[in-house]
This record gives sequence, C-alpha cells and structure tokens, in this order.
Amino acid sequence: MQQFVNLTLNGVILGAVYAAFALTLVLIFRATRIINFGQGAQAMFTTYIALTLIERGFSYWLAFLAALVSGFVIGAVVERVIVRPVETGPEINAVIVTLGVFVSFIALAAILFGNTVQSFPAPFALRGISVGEVNVAITPNDIYRLVAVLIAMVLLLTLFRFTSLGLQLRAAAFGQEVARLLGVRVSRMLTLGWAMAGLFGSLAGILIASGSLVFPNYMDGIVVFGFVAAVLGGLDSFIGAVVGGTVLGLVTTYVAGYVDASLVTLAALAILVTVLLLKPGGLFSSSVARKV
Amino acid sequence: MLEVRELVATYGPVKALDGVSLEVPAGKITAVIGANGAGKTTLLRTVSGLVQARSGSVLLEGADITKTPVEEMVRRGMAHVPEGRGVIAELTIEENLRLGGLWRKGADLEQEMEGVYEQFPSLDSRRKRTAHTLSGGERQMLVVGRALLAKPKLLLLDEPSLGLAPLVVSQIFHLIRDLVDRTGLAVLLVEQNAKSALAIADTGVVLNLGKVVATDDAKALAGDEQLRHAYLGF
Repeated sequence: MQQFVNLTLNGVILGAVYAAFALTLVLIFRATRIINFGQGAQAMFTTYIALTLIERGFSYWLAFLAALVSGFVIGAVVERVIVRPVETGPEINAVIVTLGVFVSFIALAAILFGNTVQSFPAPFALRGISVGEVNVAITPNDIYRLVAVLIAMVLLLTLFRFTSLGLQLRAAAFGQEVARLLGVRVSRMLTLGWAMAGLFGSLAGILIASGSLVFPNYMDGIVVFGFVAAVLGGLDSFIGAVVGGTVLGLVTTYVAGYVDASLVTLAALAILVTVLLLKPGGLFSSSVARKV
Repeated sequence: MLEVRELVATYGPVKALDGVSLEVPAGKITAVIGANGAGKTTLLRTVSGLVQARSGSVLLEGADITKTPVEEMVRRGMAHVPEGRGVIAELTIEENLRLGGLWRKGADLEQEMEGVYEQFPSLDSRRKRTAHTLSGGERQMLVVGRALLAKPKLLLLDEPSLGLAPLVVSQIFHLIRDLVDRTGLAVLLVEQNAKSALAIADTGVVLNLGKVVATDDAKALAGDEQLRHAYLGF
C-alpha cells in the first residue's frame, strides 16, 4: 500500500511536468499546425542561462524569472526569424526547420556551457516528508514542482478562456482568415503563441532541472514523453494535454515500480497505440472535422 | 462610400478581375451578380485586402485603402462576411459574436449582443454551445449578427443565400434591407441567386469573366430579358 501511494505521488508529479511540456506543443500546434521539435532544446538553453546566473551568485528565483523571460523571447524569435519564412510552404518544411532549431540549440549549449553534466540547485529541500510513522516518497521540492505547474496551468487557462487576448489567440488559431477580417492581428497572435510556448517550456525545463542534473541533452526524454502526452490528449486541447500527461506519468511510474524500469518507454508506446486505435483524434480533440 | 476603380486581380496567369469599376453609395444595396467563376468572390476579397490587387484602386470614403492590411479594415468601418458562413466552429456562439465587437473598446457590447439575440432567437438559447452545432441558416444569422456588432459603414456579403432555405434567405435579406434604410449602411452584395438579390438591391452590377458587362437600376436589370438570358439564367 505504501509503495502504491508513493508511486502514485511520484507519477502525478512526473505527469505534471509531462503535461506542462505537452501544453507547449499544444500551444504551437493549435496556432500553426506544426510540432516544434526544438521546444525541449530551447528550454534546455534557458535552464543553462538560469544556471549561469545562479553560479554568478544570483538567487534561484531571479534565475527562474530570467529563464522564463528568455524562453518567451527565444520562442518569439524562433517563430519570427526561423519558422515564419518557411510557413507558406508545405508543413513538413517547418517541422524540419524545428529539428534544425533542436540541433542548433544543443550544439550552442555545448559550446557555451560545456558538454558536461552539472548539478542544478533546488529551491526546496530534497528530503522526503514523514506523515506520522510513514515516510512518503515526496519532497518539498516535488510539491514545489507540482504547485508551479498547477499555477501556470490555471493562469494559462484563465488567459485563454476569460480574456479578450485569449479569445483573439483562439480565433487566430481556429479561423485565421475570419479572425483577420474581424480585426485580429493574427501574425502577432502566432508570435505570441510561440513566445508563450517558449515560456512554458522553460518552466518545465527548470522544474525538471531543479535538484537534478543538467547537460545539453537532458530534455530529450521529456520531449518524447511530452509529445506522447500531447498526442494522447488530441494535440489541440489544453485539458487533453494535462490529462494525457498525468496518465502517462502515472502509467510509466507504475510500470517502473511494479514491473521493470526498462519497460517504461515501451509502456508509453503501448498507451499511445491503444488510445489512437480506439480514438484516432486523441482523447480530447476539440477540433471539428472539416468537410472538404 | 466605396469606390472601386479599374481593379485587376490575378491568380497566376488568370485574370480573375479584369478592370472592374463600381460604386457603392451609403444607404444603398449594390448587388454584384453573375455566374460561377465570374470573379464575384475575388472582387470582395480584393476589396477587403485578402487578395492583393494587381492594379487599380479601392477607395473607402475617399481614402485609398488598396494597400491597407485586412486587419485594419474593420477599424475603418468595413465588415466582410466571407463565403461559406465564416463562423469559427470551435468557439461558442457568444465568443463568435464577441469577436465582432473586438475593436470597439468601451462600447456597450453586452447590450448590443442582447440585441442580436433578440433578432435571432434561435441563437439565444445556445449562447454557450460551440458554433459547429448550428445549422447553415443559423450560422448565416450568426455571421451577419457578428458583422453588425462591428458597427460597419460598409458591409460586404458573399453569397449569403448559398444553400439556405428560401424562408431563411428572405429573413436575412429583409433584415439587411431594413438596416440599410434605417442606418444608411452601404452594402455590397455578391450573389449567384440573381433573382432574390435584385429584388432587394438598389443597383445591380453584372459581372462576367472578370469584367463588368452591365450596371443599372436593379429593377431595370431584372426586367432586361436579353441580359437575363445571357448571363443570369432566369
């Protein structure tokens, strides 16, 4: 029973991080129908910016803020400078370009910050909490990760659901031409979508790094699992990304805990295949099938 | 209100508009009619800037707007209802309406949205439902209501009757006629259904292969048997 509780807690926390990363992919996919494979590398790069600041003596929180801001800026720049010029061509061009972004940022990070494993400090304790006699396999740092993701999600959903800016972002994503006719500055909205995805990616990146290790490829695994989570959720639903991430986090943790840690990737693939066989649009696809 | 001068638009080597000139005065409905492929939709898309004009000019209240970006048009007082009921199906009915008044900061939109709901009761009961649940006629009502929330001086309507029941068409046409007479709105209406378009329009413009072949009083056009047979098919 104790093991079950511990695994569940760990699964939820892992799932929250997957969900945060899946949200970044959904943000971009909704706006531009592109999967940004560079997202993880962009996030990794901003985590290195934060680490550099911490090493220079700045506080964790200032570095945290710097990572989010630089993530926002990098996201906007990638869209405007790198993706925009190829957007009018076939979608595959843009996807290939994002792969180029992925490779470039990893190479750049290795050159600038070194291709070594460095530890990243945690803002909260890394020792497990005890409830009465029972040791729970969850640390204050884990709780911080979970709460940070939850706050970010609530802010994002509020922005999209209840503000005029959010309505314009959704209009630009779902009906570009109509949105332009109604006066929505679609081009700005697309850039903003990529920028917000960059910010969210940086949040996921720094949360994964906190109390753990960073190296230029440390986000690669998260990109894969975040992508699976996003696809599970239907690729264009925020709720779907959250549910997909949580399911994936839980299942992979159970598999690692009860069966064998080496089967985790296979389990993720099995879930993906099963869901897509039963519901090809993903669990929560909000997009309406368009008749041609 | 709107003046189009010698407008040329091309798709590759094809001239979709070949020097089209027309005027849309305030308080009048100008109907552009013609067969499929005559360039009617291209005309509206070029006027609102979705298609770049090759040459010629578009003037709105005397100001040249030929190169003005589409996003600016609604702020200049132009609303364009595109062909095929431009609802955003993933958004709710209320959100679709809200987008209509997006640029009018400070206006009492809630009040005006109630007015739209009053006009179209079938939308009222489904405010929070996504627009893809609506029928074709209801979608047309939604986009017309949404366009009116932008308080335009000029309304571009692309085939509002397409695929709709005659009763719904007449309801929408009457609403527009009434609005034009009451508020001095200028309407540029593009229609394949020449008969019902000419019935509510003041002026008719017949378009054929990207050229204007006739411009006249709507009643006179409807009565011109030769023209009807040659271009309008009724």
